Amino acid sequence: MLRASIRSSRAIGPRANVARLGRQWDALRTPRTVSSGMRNYADKPSIADSRPAVLPGSASSATNQPAPPGSVASSPSTTGTSSASSIPSSTSSIPPQNVPRTPPPPGKANAPPPPSPSSTPPKPKPKGRFRRFLITLVLLTTLGFGGGIYYSRVNDNFHDFFTEYVPFGEEAVLYFEEREFRKRFPTLKGRLRSQPRDTGEQIKIPSQSGVSWKVSEENKPGSTGRHSDATKVESAKASSKSKTPENANSAENSTRLSDPVPEKTPEPSPPSSPVPPASAPEVDQPSKFPPEVTRIDPLDIKDAKEPVVQDLVKIINDIIAVVNADNANAKFSSTIDKAKKRISEVGGKIKDLKTAAEKEASAKVEASHSEFDRAAQELVKRIEGEMAHQEAQWKEEYENERQKLHDAYEQKLKAEIERAKEVNEQRLQNELLEQALELRRKFMAEVKDRVEEEREGRLGKLTDLSNTVTELEKLTTDWNSVVDANLKTQHLHVAVEAVRANLEKSQIPRPFVKELAALKEIASDDPVVNAAIASINPAAYQRGVPSSAQLIDRFRRVASEVRKASLLPEEAGVASHASSWVLSKLLFKKKGLAAGDDVESILTRTEIYLEEGDLDGAAREMNGLTGWAKTLSRDWLGEVRKVLEVQQALDRDSRA
Amino acid sequence: MSDSTNSPPPPPAVSRPNKPLSEALLNEKWDHCLSSLLIRSSIGVGFGVVFSVLVFKRRAWPAWVGLGFGAGRAYEECNSSFLRHGKEGIRIQRP
Repeated sequence: MLRASIRSSRAIGPRANVARLGRQWDALRTPRTVSSGMRNYADKPSIADSRPAVLPGSASSATNQPAPPGSVASSPSTTGTSSASSIPSSTSSIPPQNVPRTPPPPGKANAPPPPSPSSTPPKPKPKGRFRRFLITLVLLTTLGFGGGIYYSRVNDNFHDFFTEYVPFGEEAVLYFEEREFRKRFPTLKGRLRSQPRDTGEQIKIPSQSGVSWKVSEENKPGSTGRHSDATKVESAKASSKSKTPENANSAENSTRLSDPVPEKTPEPSPPSSPVPPASAPEVDQPSKFPPEVTRIDPLDIKDAKEPVVQDLVKIINDIIAVVNADNANAKFSSTIDKAKKRISEVGGKIKDLKTAAEKEASAKVEASHSEFDRAAQELVKRIEGEMAHQEAQWKEEYENERQKLHDAYEQKLKAEIERAKEVNEQRLQNELLEQALELRRKFMAEVKDRVEEEREGRLGKLTDLSNTVTELEKLTTDWNSVVDANLKTQHLHVAVEAVRANLEKSQIPRPFVKELAALKEIASDDPVVNAAIASINPAAYQRGVPSSAQLIDRFRRVASEVRKASLLPEEAGVASHASSWVLSKLLFKKKGLAAGDDVESILTRTEIYLEEGDLDGAAREMNGLTGWAKTLSRDWLGEVRKVLEVQQALDRDSRA
Repeated sequence: MSDSTNSPPPPPAVSRPNKPLSEALLNEKWDHCLSSLLIRSSIGVGFGVVFSVLVFKRRAWPAWVGLGFGAGRAYEECNSSFLRHGKEGIRIQRP
């Protein structure tokens, strides 16, 4: 905005109020004159925006801001405005693509303000603001776009970014680059036109182009094939012009030169000549050479097969070419003609020499052939004779060898037969001997058998006698054993009785290990006694067994305790125990063999059994108790059982 | 506890050489019960007295309450010992 105001003031300045400008814009006046011709991008916004140009009074330092359009009407000087309106036309040198093609505000941009200074009323605020915003937006966009284009040409990275992301950026940048390029190289304009930019289209290669398998075709003079010279096409006319006189000249030369040298070809440009006529068609100097120059024809010898002659001809032709190029034909034509003649003579001489040498060589070859044939026949004959001689020798040797082998085999056969005979005889003899031995053995065995029979008859009686004796002995020993057993049983009985006495007599339980040990010793091998002793509980004979009186005494105590617990229920606590104890005092006591399963009757029955001495029955009765009664009488029962076991064992022992 | 479960209980004959006779079992239990009743009730009374002196301004009822606690504890123990008879060494695990 600020710059725009300055611009406007600049534009108006020189004419509107010169006096004020004289002190303000003196320094700027010179650039102003230049600026009309030379504009840069920074000026653009002011160009597009024609509004500031309308302001006549903005040149004063007081109005830095652009005045509203309404102020235009109040501007006194119309001349300044008219000059300002001419500014956009003066800046038409700027390329149109740089100027944004936004529609200018109606009746503002193009129309000069003077025709309608009074008709433009003060615009309403929002519209003006919107317009201003639009304009600034457009200006900024254009500015940014232009700056982007400029900077993209300076910086490569930015160029990439700009062309890729900004719409129409690539086209714009390309356009400017091309313009600059054209400005720099104006001569390449045509070529550039002919070579369109790479637009990404597919390049088509014609099917006939490139290298092919074919042998190169003969170039016809008029044809312009694909292998034809590029320069020929362009300068076809010029070459044709220059050629026609040359050809004529060369024809003349050839006619002149062909007289002394008959081998020379009359053709103007022989295709087989080693020196190509490439020097003749020059593109851009056809006019320099005078057409009357005579050219010396290059030398050509038809049968120049020898390398020496070829070299010579090449040298001469080079010289001729040089002379032709120098246009000094007139000077050297005579000498060169002479040289040509000489060379043709030399060629002829060399040819003669060659034919003579060939003849000699063929004669020598024939002679050597015949010699070799003779030698070969001789060799064959000799070899045949030697072969026959050798064959005869080999046959003789073969016969000899065969005879020798035959003899050797016959001898071996004879020896084998003799040995086989001997072996056979030996075997027969052995068999005979074996038979004799067998017979003798049989005889001996028979004799022995006879003797044995005789002896058995006598000795049988003796053995019977001895048997009866042993039987008698056995009987006596049996008697002995019976007596022994008797003794043993007596001892056993004594021992058992001792044990029993010990048990019965003792007032307090005493161990009876000693007695039992004695009993075991006596009945050392009696299984019955041993089993009986083993059946006794070890605790019984180690601590002793109570007597029946003791048992009864203890039973009395146990019975009183059991009675206390006789009324207990199944799961009895303290209260039930106490009540049972109290109530059991009130129970009556039974007498005799009472019937019933209750504790009291069982106890009375047991007592009676005990008094009768029936320990077994008593134990059975007590075993019928249950619950606390059984637990209380457990120890007494154990005692009774021990006593019973001992008694049983002793009974068995005494019976054994 | 873990020891008792891990090691099997040794045979009674070996572990208790002076094992009481079977007919004396009940008497022994009674003795135990009475002694424990005496001890526990006296302890309860003692605690009650101490509390009554310290806290309750020498009222009588704490002593009675202590006595009740002690006697109740002893009764409970005795009852359980009677009930548990024959199952010593067996741990019953309640769900």
